[in-house]
Amino acid sequence: MKDELLHVYRNTPFGRETLLNSIYFCKQTKTSLKVYIPEHPQFLMYFQNEIATVELDRAFLRSPKTAREHAEAIITENGMKPNFLEPKRFTASTLPDIPVDFRFMTCPRSISDLSTKISLGHIGPKVRSVIKNAAFPVFIPTPVYKQWKSIAVFFGGSHNAVNAVKLGMEISRCADFPLRLFTQAEKLPQSHYRKILRENHLLGEVENGEIEWIFFEKGKFRENLFAVPHDSLALVGAYGHGVIKEVLFGSMMEEIQTILPNPMLIIGPHCACG
Amino acid sequence: MHRFFLRLHERLQLIIIASIVGLCGGVGSVALNRSLAAVFEWLDTLRGSWYSFLFPAVGAALSSIFLNQIARDGGGHGVPEVIYSISQRGGLLRFRSSFSRLIACLLTIASGGSAGPEAPVVISGASIGSNIGTYFRLKDRQRVIVVGCGAAAAIASIFNAPVTGIVFTLEAILGEWTAVNLIPVAIASVVGTEISRILQGNQIPFQYHAVAISPWNLGACLGLAALTAMGSVALIRTLRFIHRHAPKMIPITWVSAAAGGVLVGVIGLGFPSVLGEGYDVIRCMIAENYSASLLVLGLTVLTKILATSLTIGSGGSGGLFAPCLVIGSFTGQFYHRALVTALPSVSWAGGGYFALLGMAGVISGVLQAPMTGVFLVAEITGSYHFLISVVLVAVISVTVSHFFEPVSVYHQELVSRGELIKPRTDRQILSHLNVLELLETDCQIIHPEMRLKDLVSMIQHSHRNYFPVEDSQSGEFLGMIHLDDIRAYLFDPYLHDTILVEQVMDRDVPRVSLEDDLAYIFEVFDKTHSWSLPVVRDGKFIGLISKATILDHYRKELLVNEEI
Repeated sequence: MKDELLHVYRNTPFGRETLLNSIYFCKQTKTSLKVYIPEHPQFLMYFQNEIATVELDRAFLRSPKTAREHAEAIITENGMKPNFLEPKRFTASTLPDIPVDFRFMTCPRSISDLSTKISLGHIGPKVRSVIKNAAFPVFIPTPVYKQWKSIAVFFGGSHNAVNAVKLGMEISRCADFPLRLFTQAEKLPQSHYRKILRENHLLGEVENGEIEWIFFEKGKFRENLFAVPHDSLALVGAYGHGVIKEVLFGSMMEEIQTILPNPMLIIGPHCACG
Repeated sequence: MHRFFLRLHERLQLIIIASIVGLCGGVGSVALNRSLAAVFEWLDTLRGSWYSFLFPAVGAALSSIFLNQIARDGGGHGVPEVIYSISQRGGLLRFRSSFSRLIACLLTIASGGSAGPEAPVVISGASIGSNIGTYFRLKDRQRVIVVGCGAAAAIASIFNAPVTGIVFTLEAILGEWTAVNLIPVAIASVVGTEISRILQGNQIPFQYHAVAISPWNLGACLGLAALTAMGSVALIRTLRFIHRHAPKMIPITWVSAAAGGVLVGVIGLGFPSVLGEGYDVIRCMIAENYSASLLVLGLTVLTKILATSLTIGSGGSGGLFAPCLVIGSFTGQFYHRALVTALPSVSWAGGGYFALLGMAGVISGVLQAPMTGVFLVAEITGSYHFLISVVLVAVISVTVSHFFEPVSVYHQELVSRGELIKPRTDRQILSHLNVLELLETDCQIIHPEMRLKDLVSMIQHSHRNYFPVEDSQSGEFLGMIHLDDIRAYLFDPYLHDTILVEQVMDRDVPRVSLEDDLAYIFEVFDKTHSWSLPVVRDGKFIGLISKATILDHYRKELLVNEEI
């Protein structure tokens, strides 16, 4: 996997904010930035067993002549080297294939909706499709550029949540930011979650204070989310509970992202991180 | 279910899935066939009206709007997409392709657009196969075969021609004839045909009653083969011209499709037989019930080529099989009429015989697939009586058209983008490897200000011959040192303290990036006669790629291919 973050550039003020978020993320995680300036309204991502068709709204294709120039200026001003992705493969002449071997990808909460709706509602189906199939975590930035100074990992005990803790530790060490673990007890004692952490060799970091563990035994999860610092990057495992449970009870990740305005890093079921 | 399925033998898995895919592909083809007949019949009552020439425009515009705005399944007419998926993407195809092209094609052809339903049923069947294969978690190489099964079932079902389904898939889609491919493809093809027979009856599309063929007729086949080759080349080139220029002239896709449709409608006013798939006209010709002058026949060939290119090239949806058959049959009729006029004393076989041969010639020339042409014509006419003539025309047509257009119409787009990778070739094996997995990162980095003494001590503990040089401040890659570059100084201890790395390093070393494909990297190896190349990103060294490592991986990949 390339040590790069893929960013699909939108040549609008909103797109500038998203790019600034990506640049900050890359600096903190010591990752290179790869920018794709789309020339067609769709692109494909061929994952292991699925093709995600990403349909972009018109804002992504606006002012193509100035797009590269604007992106270059923003990246250079922020001390990074502009590095653009030129698609080499095409399923059809107007349907480029974008590589999927990146370490991270930035997706606004919805790629296909209007930018005015972004971060106000649920994530769009295309973003969901990328999260479900990608081997990389998806970075969902805030609508306006905001720096984060700590890391908050939501740990509910699933395999994806364990991966989120591992990745959180990696970023925390790399960026030298504090890491907090948030767990909402769901009729299970803390010892259950403790056991999972122990099995995954993560309990030592909690016990030696490297990770601060905030365990909510009471209260509703939605209300407890207020405890998450406003300037933290939220790491959440996604779609780790199977289709039936998610249809019946909904996805925890989707609930978090509708309430929490923080930048988020979503770790999907096929994520190779951790 | 998955667990039980995965316990079965791999070949049995493929046979079961091929049957399911054959069933689905067959149903899809029959559904399109029936819908086409129903809509065509419904529109038939309005065809006499003055505005009927606008039907193809409306149909093409609706088809384009449906495909691009509603189904959002942009792309060409379908078959190149299937070949690309097989060649490079392990047979992955989008689910939406299983229905979107069928609906788009229905709108185009039923309204009078000059195209056939075969390419849409091929992509539909292939997409069904791909998604069923994904559901059963097949490996890439198995899914590729299942995609072929879908294509075979679709063609077999729509023409009631099982052998054509098999041959077309192996010749034009998969590109290789192996026993592993043949069995599932044959099963899917048979199942698809049976579904068609159960739902539509065992109909021979163009029933032909054989007549005696004299040696004169066999000799005349040579001329017809040359003529059909010219027709094939003309169709390929006109289609390519319109496909390239239509988006430049009219960038909005549905407007472009509508404009093409208007022109087709206008052509249809003078030559109504060019509209739609055109199978009724072929039936008339084969039954010897079609009469037209030499001039009209010649003009119909040219207008059909133009109408087909306008329909498909401007953005309508449909395939080339049916137009090829129509063009071929008119070419055959034209040739027969010319022979009768020039040599009236010779006892020529009927116009139907030459129409059939023409069909085989044009389809073989356009697809560069002679066996498909031969078996298609034999099966859709229910007669192997004239097999020698058909083989003769098909083979010569392919040979002549290959001279002018060396690539099949389905492969052109892929070849122009450099994306056609044939199975079991050097390029296919290299395409399965990428720079990242071959990257050697255990290299010892040195800096320009280092003394030779330090480098020598590093060499003593290293197993490498190449040492990348980086700027100690910025970390930027500056060049490389190869052992050969410093061999002369190694054995002179007096120089160890006086020579710096920057004095002996090679600054002009060629570098490659993670995005480069291996074919290009091999070009660099050959050009520079190097054994290892530095991989650089953002000006920084990230590892080495060496011929030895590539060879090692190449061999492993080759062994996997041999097992298949």
